[in-house]
Parts: sequence; structure tokens; C-alpha cells
Amino acid sequence: MTRDLSSGVSRRKFLLTSSAVGAAGLAGCTQNNDGGSSGGSGGSGGSDDSDDSDSTATGQPLSGTINIAGSSTVFPLSTALGEIFQEDNPEVNINVQSTGSGGGFANFFCVGDTDFNNASRPIKPEEEEQCSSNGVEPVELTVATDALTVIVNNDNDWATELTVDQLADLWSAETQPQQWSDVNSDWPDQDIELFGPSDASGTYDYFIESVLGEEGPGHRQDYSGTEQDRTIVQGVEGSEYAIGYLGFAYYTENSDRVQAVAIDDGDGPVEPSLETARTGEYTPLSRPLFTYPKVSALSEDHIAEYARFFVENTTNQDLVAGDVGYVPLTDDQQAEQMSTLEDAIERAND
Amino acid sequence: MATEDRTIDGFGQVSRTVGTVFRYLLLAATLIGIVALVILLLFVANDAIQPLTADPGWHLTFFATLVVPTLAVGGYLASRNQSAAAVGVGTIGLAVVTTMFAGGLSLIFVDIVDSITWAAAVLTLAVPTAAVVAIARVSNRSPLELLAVAVILYYVSLFGVPGPLRSVVGTGQLLPGVGSAVASIPVLPVDWMLLFATFTLPVAVVVRYYARQLVDDRTATAIVAVGLVAVAIAATAAPTAGITPVPATVLASVVLLPTMTYVTTTALSRPHDRVGLALPGAVFGGSLLGAVAVRTLGYAGPQAWVDWQFLTSAHSRNAIDAGLYPAIGGSILLMLTVAVLSFPLGVGAAIYLEEYAPDNKLTRLIDVNISNLAGVPSVVYGLLGLGVFVRYFGQPSGTVLVGGATLALLILPIVIISSREAIRSVPNELRQASYGMGATRWQTVKNVILPRSFSGVLTGTILALGRAIGETAPLIMIGAPDVLFSLPADLSSKVSAMPLQVFAWSSLYATPEFYQRAVPAGVVVLVSVLLSMNSVAIVLRNKFE
Repeated sequence: MTRDLSSGVSRRKFLLTSSAVGAAGLAGCTQNNDGGSSGGSGGSGGSDDSDDSDSTATGQPLSGTINIAGSSTVFPLSTALGEIFQEDNPEVNINVQSTGSGGGFANFFCVGDTDFNNASRPIKPEEEEQCSSNGVEPVELTVATDALTVIVNNDNDWATELTVDQLADLWSAETQPQQWSDVNSDWPDQDIELFGPSDASGTYDYFIESVLGEEGPGHRQDYSGTEQDRTIVQGVEGSEYAIGYLGFAYYTENSDRVQAVAIDDGDGPVEPSLETARTGEYTPLSRPLFTYPKVSALSEDHIAEYARFFVENTTNQDLVAGDVGYVPLTDDQQAEQMSTLEDAIERAND
Repeated sequence: MATEDRTIDGFGQVSRTVGTVFRYLLLAATLIGIVALVILLLFVANDAIQPLTADPGWHLTFFATLVVPTLAVGGYLASRNQSAAAVGVGTIGLAVVTTMFAGGLSLIFVDIVDSITWAAAVLTLAVPTAAVVAIARVSNRSPLELLAVAVILYYVSLFGVPGPLRSVVGTGQLLPGVGSAVASIPVLPVDWMLLFATFTLPVAVVVRYYARQLVDDRTATAIVAVGLVAVAIAATAAPTAGITPVPATVLASVVLLPTMTYVTTTALSRPHDRVGLALPGAVFGGSLLGAVAVRTLGYAGPQAWVDWQFLTSAHSRNAIDAGLYPAIGGSILLMLTVAVLSFPLGVGAAIYLEEYAPDNKLTRLIDVNISNLAGVPSVVYGLLGLGVFVRYFGQPSGTVLVGGATLALLILPIVIISSREAIRSVPNELRQASYGMGATRWQTVKNVILPRSFSGVLTGTILALGRAIGETAPLIMIGAPDVLFSLPADLSSKVSAMPLQVFAWSSLYATPEFYQRAVPAGVVVLVSVLLSMNSVAIVLRNKFE
């Protein structure tokens, strides 16, 4: 009898214990369902909630996508800032494409595909026309100053200083010198090899504007044109009789492989450097760099916030000069850009 | 007499030298491409892994624990028992390749599709499929009736009742679809359990199907059941090792389950080849032993650029912090999209051209054009993608969908051609026998031709995907971004890809570190992924030939 009783008790005990364990186990194996809203929709025919509906200024994390294209010169600055911004705002997806200033305006920005276009020259009237015919209104923000740099081979000892006229001679479509001696009879009787950015590049446009003149003879076309600044460095490094030009940042990264040419604009030769560009001694090749947000995109908080972040960092010495190699803005310049931006954001939100 | 002399003269001088020289010239022609590529890859791998930065003690330790035992075991097996050696190599290959695939799948389940969405999607498709199969088994309905039932069931499962027809019917939503029903359940099993039910179990079914070919039904079930228990244990125990349960479940399902099953079924069905399992034992045991020894002895390993940090972080302005993660994820998503789009289209076209198409001028014209399309440069397809998908259909540029569709068009001719070859290799006698038994053409295709040619079709498709994964030009054309900091969240977000990221590093960043270190590291990852895909194709081809 006692055995029976005890076995009955133990069975009940067992049931109790096991159900308790089971319940505890189940509780540990469940989660609260928030409707599967986190993560993406895996093509399951599920909800297609828009990216930016929940980004309000009430302390919620910013989220959404920012599409950027444009100048290869501004590209390193743009990706560096994008990287830092994304670290602080992991829900914001930034993507940057290097298309050249003109390519970015014509193929991406003015047709409405991108939110920002980087440019190493101001927007052209015909580009503005294209934009406005598609309902895109650009805002011009200056983000840094670049010193466009003319480079020659390390073994070159005759053309380490050039006057603006000589530079114009070398690259003009009218004179088209074939040999160095065609420019200056003291120079070697050797064929000139020319490397430069392609005509989609703002660097190319700026070089024409500052050296050859807008109404001038135009840029010669028998040169190796490329959107890849590294190719220019490689070309000049590979040939003693080569010359090329590119953005200052690419030169500083490769200053042991090629040498920079000091430019004489009438007041004696000036080497390109952050200092000479900032003080304005390095003429005529120091130039402003721009980014153009479109006004309609600025009504979205994450894009407006990124634009503010961009302008705030234009005075950041470590980032702009140290990491990327451009001349930062002064505080006054920055304040001016910030007020332009705030105006635009206000207009966008009206 | 004179004629005879001339023939002898005409035969010329007999010498073996010319023949020998010719033979070695042919050998050189065969090897030149391979050797050039091997040298390049060695340079690239050296830059990416930098083996010389490791302590000599590190090399010595691994030489003693890994290289010597592996060579000893491998040499013994190769000389004594070829098939056992094949088992050993197969086990290692399976473990390595499945690990790479598991990495990709973990990436998807951790960062792109959460397990609830996945479970809902699986249920949405599985419930009506099961219902249709059941109805077809039980009742004797005509195909048209079955089709109607299937359409209704899938509709209800996807959208509920009345779904998008709400405005027509004029009532509110009476019954939710399976997906939204799952989404509205307040309490669900934890993530890894959902994955276990909706991912591991289907994997187990496939694995059991292959195990069934080597051992009997009960043993196969038992082996797979043990594997499933192992997966569950791995998922619950993973947090103690610092791994979250979701990737642990994926890893265990894709690596542990198939490898364990392969090892046990081989050991059971081929007792003579059991000894081959010593090879993976030597390799994995040696690696583990070496790693432990190196850590206790304090030898530093090589300062490789391909490391965990490189695989899991995004691009950075400092080369040392730069990584390939968004590009890896982008490549995986692109490949999935390409496979989903090109496989049915390509195989469908191949079946039509081989089995149905009459031999007339039109089909011959199509034939020639498909062959030509396979040789059209990829940049042209990029232009097509830009013109058709982006400009004409107004899709945003550079998205997963546009990139996948463009690459799918690019490889479609290759898929068609290789699938046609696979279908053509099915012996004609099988077709005739099938027709002779009264089967219709559709039944013949379904029951004879597709099963016989499936592995060949799969092989061709995987090789074509291997071409797509390395393409850069079409992605540049459709405006894929050069730099992206996060994974694409869905089909309409911007996508980067591994070759594109490597190209961006090599061209847009001027510091030597980028193109001397980050670029080789990216190339090593890209080539490893490509080789693992190709190895799957080769194994499939050898197995079913």
C-alpha cells in the first residue's frame, strides 16, 4: 500500500515538476512580436513601410537613405564625412558615387536620382536649367578649398616652375606643342606626355577657366584623360617627359612619387600647399569645392541633419586637412554657408 | 625510278627534334595562362595575408601540428587507398564550402531578413503548397480544377480574405493572410527556434534525401535526427561561447548537419573508406592544436588584411579600418536576385528550344542569336539595364533589383546554352521509352528529362552565377554607388558589390595602403567565394555524370 501511495505521489509530483519546468522553458523560449517591423522585407509580400516616415525631431534616431554623386575631387571628403555621420546614426544609409561634377549633375542630380551632388566648380547655367525643368532646386554650399596641382616627373629639372602663360601654352588647343622645346627652346627636344582629368571632371573645367580662360583657345584633346586621379599620378611617375594636373589631396598622398610645379602668376613662383592656398598666394589654381543639396530633399530630417553636419565639419582641421588634404573653411565662411543652408531648410519645410 | 627517288626526297629529313619542340610548345601554350594567373594570385595573396610578418615560431608550430600530419596522412591514403583519400578530401571540402555559405546565410538572417519575416514568408508559401498537394493526393480532380484551387489558396495565403479585392467586394478584411497572421501573434518562439522550424527542418529534409541514397530509411532518419539535436544544442550553447543563437543555428544547420551526415553515412556504408576520415581529423585537429599551442607559446600570427574586422566592417577613410561587409552582403543579394530571375527563364527557354521548338528558320535564327548574346560585352548589358530599367521603367539607379535584373540578362544566354547541353545529353532512348509507354511530352519532360538533366542544369547555372559575381562594368553603368556604409535592406535599396568595392579602392583612394593592402584583401575574398561556388558546380557535375 505504502509503495502504491508513494508511487502515486511521485507520479503527481513528476507531472507537476515537469509541467512547471515546461512552462518555464516555454517562457524562456518566446519573444514579444513587434510585427516583424525591424529588418527588411525579404520579398515576402509583407508591409512596405517607407524609410523616412518615423524620423521626427523628437529624439528618435534618424533613418533613411542619402544618395550622393559627383566630383571625384570632393569624393574623399564626402565619404569621410559620410563614414563619421553613419557611425553616429546607424539607421541612415549613405552611398557615394564618383561620377565627376558634370556627370553627376547631368545624369544623377538634375534628373532627381541623388540628394547631393559634389562639385569642384560652380554649377553651370545649362545644368541649372536642366535641374529646374525637372523641378530640382540646388543650393550651393562651399565646403573646402583645393589647390589644383600641376605635377611633373621627379627627374624633371627644367619645368619645376612654370608661369601661367607657359602652362596655358602647354595645354592650349591652339598651340598644341608636341615637344618641350616648342614651349621654351632651353627645354629638351622630347615629346610631351600629357595626363589630366577627363572633360566630365570639374577639375578639367576649373583648369580651363583659370588658366586657359573661358573665351580662350580651349583645352587640347590629345592628352590622356581619366576620371581616376591615380592614373594621372602613375602616368607622370612613369615618364620623365610627362606633365599632368589633379586635385591637391591626390598629390599630397603621392608627394614622393611625383613633384609639384610652383606656379608663377606674376609675383614669383608659389608652391601649392594648404598654407599658400589658404592665404590666397597660390593663384590662379586654388579653387573652392562645393556640394549641392536639393532643396526638396532638405525637408527630410536625416538629409537636413547630414547637410548641417557637413557644413559644421568644414572647419575641422584634422579631417579636412589631415585626413583628406584640402584647406578647411574659416569660421566666417562657415557661418555664411550655415546661414545659406538654414535658409534652404526653412524653405524646404514651408 | 626517277619518281621513286622524288618521293623519298619529298618526305624530307626525318628528325624527332621538330616533333619534340612542337610538343613542348603546345605544353607551354597550355600552361602560360594558368601560370600567369597563379603568379598573380600568389602576389595578391602575399599582400593580403602577409605570411612573413608572423613569428618563425608560429610557422614552425603550424608546420609541426598541421602540415606534417596532414602530409603524412594524405600521403599514406593517396598511396594505399584512393577512395578513402577522396572521402577525406570530400569531408574537408564540404566543411570549408558549407562554412562559407553559412557565413553568407548568417549575414542575411542577422542583418537583412529577421527570423519572423522569414518564418512568415516560409509559412505563406508552405501552407497553400501543402494543401494543394494534399488535395491532389486525396481527390481525383481535373488539372484545371486543381489549378483554380491552387490560385485561390495562394491568394488567401498571401493577402487574406478578401485582400486587395476589398474595394470590389465592399467589406473589411475578414481574414488575414498567413504573413500578417503571423505578424499579429503577440508572443512567438524566440528567433533561433523560428529559424529551426522554418530553415533547419527544410535543410534536414534535403540532407535526409541524400543520406537515403547511401543508407536505409531508418538509419537516415536517425542520423538526421541526431544532427537536429546537435543543431538545437549548438544554438542553446552558443551564447556561452559569445555567439548569438541566430548565426549559431544557421552555422550548425548548414555546416554541422550535412557534414555529420556525410561522415556517418560514409562510415556506415563504405567501411573500407572509413580510414579516409583521418585526413579531416589531421587537418582540423592540427589547426586547433596549432592555434592552442601558438596562443600558449605566445607566437604572433601574420598581420593579415583578410581578417574578421575586414569581413565585418564597412569602408573607412583609413585603409586599416576599411572592410568589405556591405559589398559582401550586396554581392549575396545580387546573386540571389540573379538566380531567382535567370534560372526559370533560362531553363524554360532551354527546355522549349530542345524539346518543343520545331526545326525551322525562326528557331535557327534564335539559336544563332543566343550564342551571339553570350559574347556581348558586359558593359553593353549595363547600358541596357540603365536604358530599360532605370530610364524607361523609372526605377531608382543602382538598386538590388536593377543590378540583379541587369546581371540576370547578362548571364541568361549562358544559362540557356549550358542547360540545353545538359538536356541534350539525356539519351534519346529514354525519351523514346517514355513515349513508348504512352507518356505525353509534358510527362516526359517532367519525369524523365528534367530529373536526368537537373544536375547539369544546376552546374551551368552556378558557373554562370560565378561570372555574374565578378562583373563590375554593368554595375557602374546602372549607377551602383562606389562607397556604401550599410547593407541593402531590401530590393529597392542601393547596392554595392565586391568587385565594385575593390575597383573603388584601387581607383578612387590615393593612399598606397588602399591599393597595396585593401585591394588584394578584397580580391582574395572575391576569388575564395568564386572558387567555392565553382567547386559546388564541379562536385555536382562529377557526381551525376
